[in-house]
Amino acid sequence: MTRPFRLLPLESRTPAQNLAVDDALLVRGGDVPVLRLYTWEPAALSLGYFQKLEDVPAAHMPGLEVVRRFTGGGAIHHAHELTFSIAAPASDPLYRGPVADSYCRVHALLEGALAEFGVASALRCDQALASDRTGTGMCFHGSTAQDLVWTGTDGERRKGVGSAQRRSGGRVLHHGSIKLAPDPLEPGAATVGGGSAVEDGGAGTARPIAAAEFASRLVAAFERGLDTRLEPSELTEREREHVLDLGDFFADPRFLADRRYRPEASDGGTSPAS
Amino acid sequence: MSDQATTRPDDRKYLKSHEWMKIDGDTALIGITDHAVDELCSGNEGDLVYCDLPEVGRLVEAGQTFGEIESVKAVADLNCPVDGEVVEVNAEIEDHLEILSRDPWNEGWMIRVRITGSIDESEMMDAAGYNAFVAE
Repeated sequence: MTRPFRLLPLESRTPAQNLAVDDALLVRGGDVPVLRLYTWEPAALSLGYFQKLEDVPAAHMPGLEVVRRFTGGGAIHHAHELTFSIAAPASDPLYRGPVADSYCRVHALLEGALAEFGVASALRCDQALASDRTGTGMCFHGSTAQDLVWTGTDGERRKGVGSAQRRSGGRVLHHGSIKLAPDPLEPGAATVGGGSAVEDGGAGTARPIAAAEFASRLVAAFERGLDTRLEPSELTEREREHVLDLGDFFADPRFLADRRYRPEASDGGTSPAS
Repeated sequence: MSDQATTRPDDRKYLKSHEWMKIDGDTALIGITDHAVDELCSGNEGDLVYCDLPEVGRLVEAGQTFGEIESVKAVADLNCPVDGEVVEVNAEIEDHLEILSRDPWNEGWMIRVRITGSIDESEMMDAAGYNAFVAE
């Protein structure tokens, strides 16, 4: 028997609302795992939970909206990409056991979708990447053995999917960002559209891939990989209330300046998710 | 299962969320288990990058988080098993996360809490019970 799995179809929200919805899925979601697909309006930069604003030069670009995620890792510029989140109990087969194993399972699902665009992706393993660089604080410029990478036309292996997790209250939320086209704030990252990495912003090298196009292939790849049918759904009442309660918390300048900041009405927990 | 499974101390209680609690008079010493560390970093102690512990004087509640720990790929909550006040913090950990891999049971304690309420042990396990739990 196939197992139930919710799908929150592709949508676009403000940066703070996107993170509030993910927080709701982590904190208020039920036993049924859920895959959510989304883009950002406007484009924004999200800091990793433990990052300091001053350590991410791109976060100070005039006019760029900035939020702080509750997941770890480096900063991501949410433009030219598709973001996904998967929330489920920590006991779910996708997340059971070591964190590294859960990454391998999620990335195995992504590999199927990437292959449909001619991208032969694989785990980084022990080899350093051409996209690795220091001093930017950007997620795509750091890598670990479980990151999903592919080789560009220049023959160099580069990181193409940014990933991070939050584990809280017996539940897990996995964030993923798939670069569809070159991004000037993340030079050197692999992209789906070009199937290759670019250092120069990629002008003229990439085929534009719409987020909706990749999203539909991603859903199909998940259904094949999980041997189930994703059930389109909406936020539950509990989840909606949580989103409303959070408001624009993730963009609050006090939270951006200090990850420990919580509103006075908070229950005193140390996690935005608590 | 970790090699340390056979050496998990039986002088303390264990939580399903992989913290341990050792009662010492009217205080409780709290840390995380070898299993928690293994799950976060898969044997690469360098994969642990941050640990946020509370300040002395903070009031904590059973079931709430008292801190957070980050490996290169995940942020995880640290859950408090008792109500009380933080009276001591092992600040060494924040600068030397490798302690958690080397000795989660003694050197790797995180906080000491002066217990202010009754302790609900119904959801806690002894070492044998925890060994069985993580082997499931």
